[in-house]
Amino acid sequence: MSETKSFYQEYEVFSKRTPTSSFQHQFNLLAPNEDMALILAQENFMRREPVVDIWVVNRKNVRSMSEEERMSLPRLDNKDYRTTKGYGYLRKKWREYEQGMLDEKEILSWAGGRKK
Amino acid sequence: MVIMTEDQKMIYFMKRIVAGEKIEADDWMPREYRDTLIKLISMHGMSEIMGALPEKEWVPKAPSLYRKLGIMAKVQDEMGHGQLLLRVVEDLLKPYGKTRGDLMQDLFNEDLKFHNVFHMETKTWADAGLIGWLVDGAAIITQTNMLGASYGPYAKALQRICAEEVFHAQHGEAIIMALAEGTDVQKAMVQDALNRWWPSLLMFFGPESKATTGTSKQEATIRYKIRINTNEELRQSFLDKYVPRILSLGMTIPDETIYFNEESKEWIYQQPDWAEFRKIISNNGPRSQARLNLRRSSYENNAWVREALSAKVN
Amino acid sequence: MSNTEKVLSVEEREAVKALLFQLADDDFLFSYRASEWLGLAPHIEEDVASSSITQDTMGHSAMYYMLLENLGAGKADDLAHLRPAEERRNSVLTERVNGEGYYMDTPQYDWAYTVVRSYFYTQAKKVKIDSLRNSSYEPLAEVAIKVNMEIYYHLMHWRVWFEQLLSSTEDAKVRMTDAIKLVMADFGDVFSYGDQKEAIERFDIIATEEDLEENWILAITPMFEKLGNDLPVVPKNAERNGRNGEHTRDLVEAIATLSEVYRMDLSASW
Repeated sequence: MSETKSFYQEYEVFSKRTPTSSFQHQFNLLAPNEDMALILAQENFMRREPVVDIWVVNRKNVRSMSEEERMSLPRLDNKDYRTTKGYGYLRKKWREYEQGMLDEKEILSWAGGRKK
Repeated sequence: MVIMTEDQKMIYFMKRIVAGEKIEADDWMPREYRDTLIKLISMHGMSEIMGALPEKEWVPKAPSLYRKLGIMAKVQDEMGHGQLLLRVVEDLLKPYGKTRGDLMQDLFNEDLKFHNVFHMETKTWADAGLIGWLVDGAAIITQTNMLGASYGPYAKALQRICAEEVFHAQHGEAIIMALAEGTDVQKAMVQDALNRWWPSLLMFFGPESKATTGTSKQEATIRYKIRINTNEELRQSFLDKYVPRILSLGMTIPDETIYFNEESKEWIYQQPDWAEFRKIISNNGPRSQARLNLRRSSYENNAWVREALSAKVN
Repeated sequence: MSNTEKVLSVEEREAVKALLFQLADDDFLFSYRASEWLGLAPHIEEDVASSSITQDTMGHSAMYYMLLENLGAGKADDLAHLRPAEERRNSVLTERVNGEGYYMDTPQYDWAYTVVRSYFYTQAKKVKIDSLRNSSYEPLAEVAIKVNMEIYYHLMHWRVWFEQLLSSTEDAKVRMTDAIKLVMADFGDVFSYGDQKEAIERFDIIATEEDLEENWILAITPMFEKLGNDLPVVPKNAERNGRNGEHTRDLVEAIATLSEVYRMDLSASW
């Protein structure tokens, strides 16, 4: 039996715990096709946790990195300008102007909308 | 890319091992590392699959709706652990062109062995409890010892497995406690189970040195940081945790000589019959052939299903 | 449990109990047979997945036995373990063995039969649950809403298996077609209430036998049209009606096994 026609196709399984959480890789399983992979996925890897959605991906459709390619991932710790860390001095400056700093905590708290 | 010689690759690989890095499935690895992992994990995985059989014997007979549900969930987990581990070993076997089908054939040809405990008979309901409590207890000791394994996919599978083992142990404890607190017949049942399983539990961790069985993976698995402790250290750790608990439930250890040496901080105990151990793990235990037959016949009997669905590959 | 629960007349109470025994015994025996497959399914991943369905199903039977316990019929565990075959009210379909051989030896279970039985049974269960969600007996309606939640997955699972095997190799088609014949031969009592028909239907506890059967046929029609297979025909009269306690030796043997430990000491705690 040729490799492509084998019952044992490899599927990677991803699932979401809540509607707003990201898909998370769980594990992988063998199945002959994606419909079968889908009905096997939840009970194999998420028997004891909440799930709101599942993806199954045939591994042949995943472009993964080699050991050498993964060496392209680390970076220097000199990129404060890209994060709020590089702008921490603003807190003091705003205080001089008698204003509060609109930091992450403050901005995300606006999710509740305008309150009277 | 920098072209590395085999020697340089090996030096780089060992550097990663020493630094506590995780090795991934497609990374370069020395053949000895790959083969050690294959041997270890295929035996671990197949033991889970074979280990489902002695316990499933008690699934229909479990003595209440709740116990029936509990033991079903437990046996399901054993199959699930087999699934996780076989997937890990199947990826390691890729360079050798082998698949799950080949692993099953290796089991049937008796080239691939499974743990001594799963060759034994289960005679009463107490055995089902004892397996959950003490066999899984022993398995928890060996498996948690490898949670930090240098091979990433194995460590990941073990994390899932160990989380579920906690449920298995408690499922076993619940059965054992009900019996130990029960009628005289129930108490006798649980003591009888312990008497019969005790030597197998000691054997579970393997012999102290390879002088006993001729081969041992201990040295390579420790050198490659797959596990931390030796067989004997693991057995001592099992005795540390379980002897006091067994005694507290009013049971007796079926070894009059056992005691804890305060000076050496070690349990001194009667060695199990290691010749018997060799016999059992070479598939000549009380239920070895019957369980292999069951596994083989169900696999062959269902071959048409896998064949039919091979036509449904997309 | 609802606090608006009304007081039942003696007749209505007996009718509710009669139906509950049918529902409970159906799921209990169906799950029992499925549990014999543990560790022996055609594929390891399927072994794990189908075991969840088996557990869910036994969980459903436990809920029905609890309703019976609440109605004073006896302890749920006693009801599940101790009643002899002639007192059981499950459909004969659910008690049939999975194939030849005892589960402790080397049984030759038939996966085609299991797929067909599971799909047809689960679809029948879904039709009943849809009706029971509006049952006049409120505690049962509440249980039906819970069961309904889990049955989506069960049905999806067995539909995929049924469709794929029936549209694969010639060998598989022959096995599946034979299995359909075997399953349908036992389908005569699946929608039957036996000699309790009049009582059960009178109190609006569940839809009529005829309505359930019609809904079942409607539910499976798209699958059969898609596959180009002839629709199965539900036998008019069951050769044995499990709802009246008419059973096979398979059930007698199953009860002996499933109660072996439980019967050792009825006053003991396990």
